[in-house]
Amino acid sequence: MTRNPLRELAQYAYLILSFTRRDIRARYKQTALGAAWAVLQPLSLMVIFTLVFDRVARIPTGGTPYPIFSYSALIFWSFFSTTVSQGTLSMTANSNLVRKIYFPRETLLLAVLLSAAVDLAIAFAMLGALMFFYGVAPTVTLLWIPVLLAVQVMFTFALICVTSAVHVYFRDVGHALSLGLQLWMFATPVAYPMSVVPENLRSLYLLNPMATIIDGYRRAILYGQPPDLARLGMVVVFVVALLGVTYMSFKHAERTFADVI
Amino acid sequence: MSDIVLSFDRVSKRYRLRRGWHTLSFGEAIGRLRRRVRASDTASDDFFWALRDVNFQIRQGESVGLIGSNGAGKSTTLKILSRVTVPTHGTFSAVGRVGALIEVGAGFHFDLTGRENVYLNGAIMGMSRAEVESKFDRIVAFAEIDRFIDTPIKYYSSGMAVRLGFAVAAHVNPDILLVDEVLAVGDAAFQAKCLNKLAELREQDKTIVLVTHNMTNVVQHCDRVIWMDRGTVRAAGDPEEIVEQYLQAVQPQTAAAAAPTLDESAPIRIGTVTARDHRGETDQPLVYGARATIEVEYEVTAPVSDPVIGITFVNATGHALGGLTSRLAGLKLDVSQPTGVVRLVLDPVIFTRGTYKVSVSALDERIQRFYDMKSQAASFTVDGPSLATREVSGHVVYPHHWESNGGQPS
Repeated sequence: MTRNPLRELAQYAYLILSFTRRDIRARYKQTALGAAWAVLQPLSLMVIFTLVFDRVARIPTGGTPYPIFSYSALIFWSFFSTTVSQGTLSMTANSNLVRKIYFPRETLLLAVLLSAAVDLAIAFAMLGALMFFYGVAPTVTLLWIPVLLAVQVMFTFALICVTSAVHVYFRDVGHALSLGLQLWMFATPVAYPMSVVPENLRSLYLLNPMATIIDGYRRAILYGQPPDLARLGMVVVFVVALLGVTYMSFKHAERTFADVI
Repeated sequence: MSDIVLSFDRVSKRYRLRRGWHTLSFGEAIGRLRRRVRASDTASDDFFWALRDVNFQIRQGESVGLIGSNGAGKSTTLKILSRVTVPTHGTFSAVGRVGALIEVGAGFHFDLTGRENVYLNGAIMGMSRAEVESKFDRIVAFAEIDRFIDTPIKYYSSGMAVRLGFAVAAHVNPDILLVDEVLAVGDAAFQAKCLNKLAELREQDKTIVLVTHNMTNVVQHCDRVIWMDRGTVRAAGDPEEIVEQYLQAVQPQTAAAAAPTLDESAPIRIGTVTARDHRGETDQPLVYGARATIEVEYEVTAPVSDPVIGITFVNATGHALGGLTSRLAGLKLDVSQPTGVVRLVLDPVIFTRGTYKVSVSALDERIQRFYDMKSQAASFTVDGPSLATREVSGHVVYPHHWESNGGQPS
């Protein structure tokens, strides 16, 4: 019964797309605003952040208007937090299926990533409008975005392989989720630039892969700079190793999800 | 025909009872924690063995019925067969694509339309987009919901949703099909359609594993039956034989002598009840079409006015098939002696093959009050037309003949 999980996954490509379509359709069924919510959420966070961090806390942004400074990080952070929380809960949310039908369980995780990517694309289009509005010229470094996104997706997938499996056994994970993600956001340069982090804490701070990734987006979009390649390289090595370990563990654990879910 | 496509080799499955920590007292929780730490968490009360050392093989093209009472391990077996879970010990192997008709419609999303759900459910069952597309019209026609195909299924009746689920699952076209109790879905016409689908798959030499409580379906549609009991295989073999054994085991014989007398002060009591075949033998099956006699001995302890004897025939699972009384034929019971015998002559026996029981009662002259009642006072088997041939169904064959427009059959 040893099967190559990747070959099997390839056979289920259509299922991944079907779950994705289901998630997208179901998300905006019976909503009046529909896909506008994909923009409204990061946009409203942007307004709140601008009021709190720009008007009140006076965070330095190096001359960039704060709304676009925060929005350029917020959309990618939203993508991360949405996929982590939905991914973590995806096994239990589909317990009806998991209990009764066999299919590679990671298809649910991949569908979470894909359906959230649609929201990201919509929010990204809004970023274009904001850049035009604030007169930020696009540069060739925008080409780093797909690379950073690939690293982020791999990291997220590696993470939810663990959290979703543990959540099957201990629902505590679900309760800790929103608190954990909020703390994580403040440990990531979303609302503030990396430069405000004290020099002596920097290496500790950079243990968070999302710090390098989010910082990379902002450099590429707003400042026309490539990401810090040395740091990104380390993140890639770490993420690939993590992915290998967590995916294998997930495949081992998924065999008995149906017994406990 | 002899290649094995499904095999269980000493398969055992253990479930943890998963009593939550909150159900334990503080002391119990500490005890459990200590066992965990010592890695000796094998206290038997924490576990439940759903399967123990189960062995069986199923060959290509076979149609196998899985029977047993609730908790016998059928569902666990099916879960392992469909790869939803893995055995704790032992090995399971399968050759070919396994499809499951289990809890049809489990993958439905109620906000999506019928059409969207057909595609989604098809994908969950392992179909490709092209496959669903090519079968879409047939699926909708099978489910008989074409008018509602673009309506969200939360507005469907439960019957419609289940029919749609079955329709998708029935078109998956796997090499090995697992069917769990879905034949109970829908009305008689839809069930007929489902049975046709099953017959079609059998003709295509597909392997079928059927789990059901409907013994008629098992006898009529399976080549072989596996009877599971408390996590083990109790018996396997010819459907009619195994079903018969199973039914006798779940409905144990009640000895007539053990049945208590209803009312000690009643003037008439039922004694021994015996079924005799056309030769008067008591240890032979009754023969369909021949004569048979149900002999009832009774005891008269006080003067009684025109009592009535009632006899009800009961099938192996205890369902009453029909009863009659001595009053119907206008018989006047002889109560002048302290004991007597009354015989019900069946001429001919109209039962199909199987095991039957008789309940015998003695009633007052208005057929209202029971003087005595011996439930399942005797049992007998019948040698007659078998359900397995599918030429008859149910328990009785009414006295009949056929005529066609040409005239009578030869």
